[in-house]
Amino acid sequence: MDDMRLAEKAVNAAETKIAARNVQVYYGDSHAIKDVDIDIADRTVTAFIGPSGCGKSTFLRCLNRMNDTIPICRVEGDILLDGEDIYDKRVDPVQLRARIGMVFQKPNPFPKSIYENVAYGPKIHGLARNKAELDGIVESSLRKAALWNEAKDRLSEPGTGLSGGQQQRLCIARAIATSPEVLLMDEPCSALDPIATAQVEELIDELRGQFSVVIVTHSMQQAARVSQRTAFFHLGNLVEFGETGQIFTNPRDPRTESYITGRIG
Amino acid sequence: MESQHILQAFDRDLEGIQAMVMRMGGMVEAAILEAGQALEARDDDLAEKVRAGDKAIDALEEKIAEEASRLIALRAPTASDLRIVLSVMKIAASLERVGDYAKNMAKRANVLGQMPVIPGAGGSLRRMSKTVVQMLSDALDAYNTRDAALAEDVRNRDRDVDQMYNALFREFLTHMMEDPRNITACMHLHFIAKNIERMGDHATTIAEQVMYLVTGVRPEENRPKAETVTVIGVEGK
Repeated sequence: MDDMRLAEKAVNAAETKIAARNVQVYYGDSHAIKDVDIDIADRTVTAFIGPSGCGKSTFLRCLNRMNDTIPICRVEGDILLDGEDIYDKRVDPVQLRARIGMVFQKPNPFPKSIYENVAYGPKIHGLARNKAELDGIVESSLRKAALWNEAKDRLSEPGTGLSGGQQQRLCIARAIATSPEVLLMDEPCSALDPIATAQVEELIDELRGQFSVVIVTHSMQQAARVSQRTAFFHLGNLVEFGETGQIFTNPRDPRTESYITGRIG
Repeated sequence: MESQHILQAFDRDLEGIQAMVMRMGGMVEAAILEAGQALEARDDDLAEKVRAGDKAIDALEEKIAEEASRLIALRAPTASDLRIVLSVMKIAASLERVGDYAKNMAKRANVLGQMPVIPGAGGSLRRMSKTVVQMLSDALDAYNTRDAALAEDVRNRDRDVDQMYNALFREFLTHMMEDPRNITACMHLHFIAKNIERMGDHATTIAEQVMYLVTGVRPEENRPKAETVTVIGVEGK
């Protein structure tokens, strides 16, 4: 109990990294996200939960403008990263995604070597001046992703030759190689076995010391295990957002209660 | 009850542990009433029955703890489900203690049967235990109907039990001062009174669990209390 209170205090003290105000998302005529206001704290894991189709992934994808790639998708409202509007015309989405990295449901390493997978981002963003620096970034990223010991002797082998859990950690290493400020994860463990899941969760908890992590998950137990803040989405609305311990012991909204206890809502 | 779980086995498990607690409550209430009756009527057989019956209460508490831990492991309950499991475990633990007190009361009833009668004591203790049984039964009713107001009422009634205990304490003190031959009997009677007073505290704890279950918040520690004998000095004042 004390620990939970401490975690909550730490989170309350953390500054807001991303602030969303009145966010609406439309896919053509359908209104997928309605009036979402949320403050994502820095150095905190925030979990988005909710039934399929509730808009949690859509909203996550707004946070680094992944929805720009969908022609019929329209985003309204303000999303501010450190107080700056990420949908401003002057913002280059590619640069933005170097600051707000993303990991997807299925591990999707490039069909290249393990080294190239991690080195790709820093290279295209010009983050390394020479080979030695690039080597350093690759090593530290793989270390942070808890993959270094398994991968250090096979850096030139294809990333696709790794196991599923290792591939996902490779994708995380790739995402953190550009030193992002926020890491978005869309169901990062759904294709992994329990051991690999635990390793990724441990990794998420470590990454929290350096930046803000936002994770979409269908596993409520996972949300409970890794996050300090939980947001419950339902039918495009943000129903409840609060400290994870509170959401799982004493949710305020009956819809949250029905969902997390597995009742017919 | 709230709407049902998609997984119906979850509902069956939750209902199962709650039904066990209710059965345990019934057994404990009967034990207190019978112990009180045995005391007043000097009925050794009834006292013996209460003593023997405590084993079944203890066994049921173990069964509840086992089922509750299974439920936590297998169903990972959250929110109100979690509160049900937690409150069931706490209530079962309280009931088990109350059962022990009833058993102890029955034991002393056997001993007291061999001693001079302290006039009025048996009747007073039986009335006190009836009050506590009513609190217990209301607390368990409040659990069943998720009635936080009734639980709050039970919690406030603990003051009456405290006052009965204070009065008895003074009464026994008087008897002991009047005639030292009463001391042994009065000491036993005093322990019985103290144990009944403790039963009232457990009924209060159960009522507080009901309030927690219904509201999700534990009530604050500002309920009315009237137990004053802990500060009585040598002069009996």
